Amino acid sequence: MQNNKTVDMAAAIKSWLLLIALSVIAIYLPEFIDHRSFYTIAALVIVVIKGQQIVDIFMELNNAPKFWRLLFLSYITLLPLIISVIYIT
Amino acid sequence: MTNPSISIVFPDKKLPGDLAMWFFILAELTVFAIFFIGFSISEQLNAAMFSQGKAQLHQTAGLINTIALITSSFFVAIALTKIHKAQAKQAVLLLLTAKAFAIIYISVKIWEYLSLFEQGITIETNTFFTLYFLITAFHLMHVLLGMVILAFLAHSAWHNKYQDKGLSGFEAGTSYWHMVDLLWIILFPLIYVI
Repeated sequence: MQNNKTVDMAAAIKSWLLLIALSVIAIYLPEFIDHRSFYTIAALVIVVIKGQQIVDIFMELNNAPKFWRLLFLSYITLLPLIISVIYIT
Repeated sequence: MTNPSISIVFPDKKLPGDLAMWFFILAELTVFAIFFIGFSISEQLNAAMFSQGKAQLHQTAGLINTIALITSSFFVAIALTKIHKAQAKQAVLLLLTAKAFAIIYISVKIWEYLSLFEQGITIETNTFFTLYFLITAFHLMHVLLGMVILAFLAHSAWHNKYQDKGLSGFEAGTSYWHMVDLLWIILFPLIYVI
């Protein structure tokens, strides 16, 4: 059986542009935000947003069973959270 | 191949590709998570050394590589839509474009390594560069494996093999490539930005 709910072209283009924009923003964060803790958190929030785009749009897990989608979204949320805690404490 | 248990529990939902590939991806993500957490802890223990090390990296090269991998992943996602529509030749063209962006990534990464070597920086310089070379080289190996997979997918698509066999293999291969991209978007800020 094929997966009939294939990735939508417009959604893929939007996602691609968003990913590039966020990548560019991430690299300039230290110039806009003075405090290291704040730009660290901002950079890791960007990772979560980018990860969600890749998981849902590129990997097509938005059309997959909930368990698998939540598993990958948990990874892309919990790992940056753990890293944030390490950097801030 | 469709996993019957998933189709029964979630009749409208289907995991793309093979279940085995997703377990393999999870295993890879776990290994990298250990690397990332280890890197973060090491940075907290050697803040000055890591700050100095990061200052010697080329941030623009990191950004170019990020854009190259994201764009490559985008073309792979679009290639999958073409395969779904039985437009195999267009899918091959998109896969080759994706590979071209992967080559940009590899070229920039090699240039970065050579630049550091010219400055006398190696894997033995300090803890930061040990972790930098280990993590980025390990990721680079995954990019190289991903390129082999993309070449295989392109070859099979060119010979219309997915019309007979179903798309499971193609979906599994593209999922692997997106995993490589997913790992880089964590690696990039961790090593180059924060």
